[in-house]
Amino acid sequence: MKQTTRTLSIYSSDTAGTASMLYELGGMTVIHDASGCNSTYSTHDEPRWYQMDSMIYISGLTETDVILGNDERLIEDVCKAAKELSPRFITLAASPMPVMTGTDLDAIADEIRARTLLPVFPIHTNGMNSYLKGASDSLLAFLQYFCKENVEKTVRPSVNIIGATPLDFSINGTVESIRKFLMEEGFDVISCMSMGSSFEEIISAGKAQVNLVISSCGLAAAKYLFRQFHTPFVTGVPLGKRYAGHLAQELRKAIKNGENSFSCLYDRSIPQERENAPAVIHESIFASSLACALEKDLSIPANVIVPEELQISLYRKDADIVAECEDSLREILTHTGTLIADPFYQALISENQSFIPLPHEAFSGRCFRRANKVLAARDLSQWRDILC
Amino acid sequence: MLKVAIYGKGGIGKSTVTANLAASFARLGKKVIQIGCDPKADSTINLLHGNGVTPVMNFLREHDREPNKLEEIAKEGFGGILCIETGGPTPGLGCAGRGIITTFSLLEDLELFETYKPDVVLYDVLGDVVCGGFAAPIRENYASHVLIVSSGEKMALYAANNIHNAVKNFADRGYAKVFGIVLNRRSVENEEEKVRAFADANDLQIVADIPRSNEIIYWEDRNMTIVEGAENSPVSKEFLALANKLLKAEEDRKENE
Repeated sequence: MKQTTRTLSIYSSDTAGTASMLYELGGMTVIHDASGCNSTYSTHDEPRWYQMDSMIYISGLTETDVILGNDERLIEDVCKAAKELSPRFITLAASPMPVMTGTDLDAIADEIRARTLLPVFPIHTNGMNSYLKGASDSLLAFLQYFCKENVEKTVRPSVNIIGATPLDFSINGTVESIRKFLMEEGFDVISCMSMGSSFEEIISAGKAQVNLVISSCGLAAAKYLFRQFHTPFVTGVPLGKRYAGHLAQELRKAIKNGENSFSCLYDRSIPQERENAPAVIHESIFASSLACALEKDLSIPANVIVPEELQISLYRKDADIVAECEDSLREILTHTGTLIADPFYQALISENQSFIPLPHEAFSGRCFRRANKVLAARDLSQWRDILC
Repeated sequence: MLKVAIYGKGGIGKSTVTANLAASFARLGKKVIQIGCDPKADSTINLLHGNGVTPVMNFLREHDREPNKLEEIAKEGFGGILCIETGGPTPGLGCAGRGIITTFSLLEDLELFETYKPDVVLYDVLGDVVCGGFAAPIRENYASHVLIVSSGEKMALYAANNIHNAVKNFADRGYAKVFGIVLNRRSVENEEEKVRAFADANDLQIVADIPRSNEIIYWEDRNMTIVEGAENSPVSKEFLALANKLLKAEEDRKENE
């Protein structure tokens, strides 16, 4: 059955991606949606909710508002909240209902901007795209608004980490490990977009000598920074020991030659025998990087499988396997060796097939958070026995 | 790019005005797109000599997929005018306003303006601004000028007033502005005085005065606009004059920007 999911979960929506990417930046994110749906963005998809305040709001759209086209209530509520809370900026994002009724988010943003004199940018979510699109569009809009003035590059090697949200990296210390690894390799980390960095750090991103794109959420932003500040980027997550070291070299190379590198896509081989080779399912920059790490650390090439919902991400079209629906994925997995994926995917493979859990919060939320191990710059040899 | 939305009471002659205006722009050497936003999907029929284009909603209904290329939902008519019709849902069901929004979104995906590079785009919109979908043509990036078609009949002026108020309500949103009233005469007693009184009361201009003419009907019976069939008739000259006024207004707007 095409476009039908019987066993699997679905990935977080674009609205959750927006809320997640902007969570720590001091803005007010308003999702134009019916009341009662706030927990989707603020708790199920947001592990920081209990540790860190953020102005994530829902408009509480009612049936009457929809019928009457009552945009004024949204505008007034946002202006009132902005007056009380003084956010640095306001983001508006739409859920399916306002999209269906043709709510003009751009015009509403203009009105709120005129009344509050704050930066207001609408993000054209519809609640039906994956988190990657919402997170990517939001970070790009943020940078286009706040990060455009020319700045001097640093003298020492320096880097921005781009594309970090708990939806891909949880709150298990992975992002901190990436940051630590880069510092140990001699890079000053200018900012991490958007976990663990302040508004001021992120808007000074132009002074970095290179950008490290660790998820597809960060690719559009990296391309913008390349256009704006001529900062080259490298795609990849420093997973495993040897691949992490290789990625550090790629960053140095990019600083030297000013060219972008899609390291995670091309610094790996396609398994000679594709059947029975291990396969990784995750956000595709992460999955590709893990395949690089398996090959460099354990000499085991792996396939990368891209679920249909994540097709807008960066993947290698000549090599990676796109699963168009749950049925086709089930078929693909019958010819796969060890599967490395979110535990929800285990339901699609046979009992005899080996499986390594790789929890992905954008897919299974907090269900397996405790089992989510840090793989950044860590030895992967504990997997050798399962994979061989 | 000059983008104009044409509104007015149902049956007042919006499609006739729009198609003749499109033909006038084409006569002036402009590259024109006309988008009919009425579920009846008859806006462009006289530009296409009776062989209408497949409306977007019909395409979706028949093929159960979105169009992949413009040719599936667009057709060139008189003077190379590219004709598109949104069409509408099954009568009595669905949501016609949503149909307009979907069509606009599809046209964006198909990069209509980027590929066709028109000088003029005309949106022929259903009678009144009844919901968000019917306001879509006057949003930012769509039309910048609104024409209201009205006769001297009471209900036509009533509808014109509603449309004018709706557009005024969007003043803070950077939407289109009313360019003026097209007086489409219906042989009403003191017709010009009535429409002028309305225009003056609302600080609007009568930008064209289309006489009641059997010539229009004569050419429409032959699946043509009068501007195509009889370029030198006084009626055609009125449409050509309106086209020139709009082009001038667009030039002024660009200069002000």
